[in-house]
Amino acid sequence: METVIEMNQLGKTFGKTQALKEVTFKINKGEVVGFIGPNGAGKSTTIRILLGLIQADGGTATIFGQDVWKEAVSIHERVAYVPGDVNLWPQLTGGEVIDLFLSMRGKKVDQERKAELIKRFEFDPTKKCQAYSKGNRQKVALIAAFAADADVYIFDEPTSGLDPLQERVFQDYVKEVKARGASVLLSSHILSEVEQICDRVAIIRQGEIVEEGNLDDLRHLTRTLMTVKTKEAVPTLKDQAWAHRVKEKSGTYTFQLDSDYMNDFLHFITPYSVVKLESAPPKLEDLFMRHYETVGDS
Amino acid sequence: MATHAFKQTNRLFGFSLKKEWLKLFLWWLGCLLFVFIGIFAFVEIYYDPMERQAMAMAMANPAMEAIFGRMIGSDNYTIGAMYSHMMTIMTLILFSIQSILLVVRHTRAEEEDGVVEMLQALPTGRLAHTTSTILLLLLVNGASAIGSAVVLLIFGDASITLEGAVLTGLIYGLAGLLFGSLTLVMAQLSSSARGTLTLSFALLGFAFILRIIGDGGIELLSWVSPLGLLYGTEPFVNNHWWPVLVGLGVSVLLILFALYLKQKRDLGSGLLPDRAGKSGASAFIKTPVGFAFRLIRTPFIVWTVALAVLGVTYGSVIGDVEEIIQGNEIVQQVLGGDETTNMTEQFMVTIIGVLSLAATIPSIQALIKLRGEEKKGRLAHQLSGTRSRTKIMGSFLFLSVLTSVWMQLIQMTAFSGAAVAMGFDISFIDPILAGISYLPAIWVLTGLAACLIGWIPKATPMIWLYLTFSFFILYFAELFKLPEWFRLMSPYEAVPDIPMDAFSWEAFLVLTAIAALLSVLGIVGFKKRDTD
Ligand SMILES: Nc1ncnc2c1ncn2[C@@H]1O[C@H](COP(=O)(O)OP(=O)(O)OP(=O)(O)O)[C@@H](O)[C@H]1O
Ligand SMILES: [Mg+2]
Repeated sequence: METVIEMNQLGKTFGKTQALKEVTFKINKGEVVGFIGPNGAGKSTTIRILLGLIQADGGTATIFGQDVWKEAVSIHERVAYVPGDVNLWPQLTGGEVIDLFLSMRGKKVDQERKAELIKRFEFDPTKKCQAYSKGNRQKVALIAAFAADADVYIFDEPTSGLDPLQERVFQDYVKEVKARGASVLLSSHILSEVEQICDRVAIIRQGEIVEEGNLDDLRHLTRTLMTVKTKEAVPTLKDQAWAHRVKEKSGTYTFQLDSDYMNDFLHFITPYSVVKLESAPPKLEDLFMRHYETVGDS
Repeated sequence: MATHAFKQTNRLFGFSLKKEWLKLFLWWLGCLLFVFIGIFAFVEIYYDPMERQAMAMAMANPAMEAIFGRMIGSDNYTIGAMYSHMMTIMTLILFSIQSILLVVRHTRAEEEDGVVEMLQALPTGRLAHTTSTILLLLLVNGASAIGSAVVLLIFGDASITLEGAVLTGLIYGLAGLLFGSLTLVMAQLSSSARGTLTLSFALLGFAFILRIIGDGGIELLSWVSPLGLLYGTEPFVNNHWWPVLVGLGVSVLLILFALYLKQKRDLGSGLLPDRAGKSGASAFIKTPVGFAFRLIRTPFIVWTVALAVLGVTYGSVIGDVEEIIQGNEIVQQVLGGDETTNMTEQFMVTIIGVLSLAATIPSIQALIKLRGEEKKGRLAHQLSGTRSRTKIMGSFLFLSVLTSVWMQLIQMTAFSGAAVAMGFDISFIDPILAGISYLPAIWVLTGLAACLIGWIPKATPMIWLYLTFSFFILYFAELFKLPEWFRLMSPYEAVPDIPMDAFSWEAFLVLTAIAALLSVLGIVGFKKRDTD
């Protein structure tokens, strides 16, 4: 597999804040990678380093094998970026800004594609930017990005202002660019979106990648949601190391089980006369949540 | 890599022109209008060589030099010499302000808004956005230089030589280029548009004060000040060209330095450290006035220091004007031959007027911060709370009045104190009293600003135009012999000339009433209209 983006032990310190400690991961050609983590974890910082907007003070980062800081201009010819907060020149129309962005790429603007995007996103390009709502400003950047024939797409919470319908349009386009072999890095807090369109996720916490891998692999690692009803009460369930978030309601227990401990659990529960036993497939959201929740611990 | 850094400069430049041409053009027109009025008025009014010579003698004293600039060409005070002497400093400042605003608007302000991030993520060079601004700066100042020279040549008399006119145009453009380049460096050091603006204007103010002190005796300081340096070309008198070369050289170095810093630094950051703030709000800033004050704290402190320094500077150059004037009949004649006219007092009146106008700036700023908050979309936070609009606007108005009182007291005390300390024969209390009697005029301006905010918020910046106009009248009314009705378009002209005239309750109360009315009107409008 051809590696498109490569980060090796990236570090970045702002004054006294260490935003990135050690970020190492790769994105391959044709891959959609979700980039998630709590507020302030370092997602935007990583992305801004990748775009050559800020300079890492440790480690290396390359896109297409070129250094992201030194070769920024030639890299950007094949990269499209959409930030979460899109601010535009108030006195220009959305259509003008899209054209400006596209013209910077030095290629001829594909008018047909642009028109299609404008239609799909239900966007009015004739209004002045100061009159756009947040979602509409985001659409300007999204349309300009998807209209560009890029090989790498970098999104930093691109859908935070879109309505659910438009979000789906966004997902469709991500799938489309993936189909033609482009790579996508998507930072997002919308976990369902990540689950929908990403092949892999990287989870960052306090400037470090704490979990990284194929979505399916991650599912295996995770916990299983169990619902069990017994004749006798099971007061010691909550003390077991493999049981998490135990809740009891009129004799029915729901909890999360570490997936590797299924056997231990069955041995443990049999003496209490099981009436009903259900297991639900692990939800990725729960896995992600775990990483959000434990921020304070370390 | 090296050529890559500038990639797309011309496209960005074209784009800036496309979206800004009207603004740039109006600025250009306004600046040239200023040049035109000066030369036209001089040719019309001071055609008599005798009168000009008398004027020259009246101007050749430390006090007047502090206002206009070091005396030049006094032995043959032609229209050209007179124009260079009296108009140069003010015009240089005007062109500098134009360029400072231009550079901040195109660099830090756009970076703060996040548009530079979007542009830089495209295949544009890391320096392209900055170099396109530099091109814009060159274009604007080139056009200013050429326009000024042409205006002077068309409307001047025989003393306006080609060489002098070209030199004058050049120093005007160069002032813009110099301060524009300085601003460009400041834009790399500070991490905000506001900070860049403050630093740049502080440098302009510093250059102004340095020139005054330099002309008052320590000549070296005049040459260190960009304003003093360019003034030293003495167009139409000696036509020195070397300061132009120095100015050009310094500009180039500043630009290179700014580019070097830009190339090195992270987008969005400055090189000066940002301090960490408090984690919670103090009881003071939880009150509406306290909150408003917190928003303007930094400019408030900067202005306090700046005006105190300006007061001391003017106070210490008053000098013993009397001695120079005494026994000079021609001068006495020019000044009206009025026995009660006293040169020192005349000078004081002008300076106190200038200082009062200067104090109006932070007072207006305090009020229109409200509009700034609204434009940034932060006003909604306040309005959605339990505070009424009246209370919010009232807080800013109150703060603005407080600012005016504070600034007037500080700078007038500084002025008086310095003058008395230097042993000049003036009353300590007179300038302070004069400062107080100017307050209602300041309030009229803030009242007008309130009306603009309340009724035509988009036109709020127009208040600066009116302030500039008032300044123009104050500074040049005497010189251009402007008619009385015209002068009265500025509220500052309704204020009695203390210490030449007595304090007038009538003027004080009438102006205060007008100001109060305007303020109330502003609040009414603000309550009724939609907010952005
Ligand atoms: N310019 C800066 N100056 C100082 N500190 C910064 C700067 N930019 C980011 N930081 C700090 O670096 C850390 C990482 O920030 P970053 O913006 O990368 O987080 P994030 O993961 O994108 O968070 P969010 O989910 O809120 O967008 C934070 O602690 C932040 O305060
Ligand atoms: Mg972020």
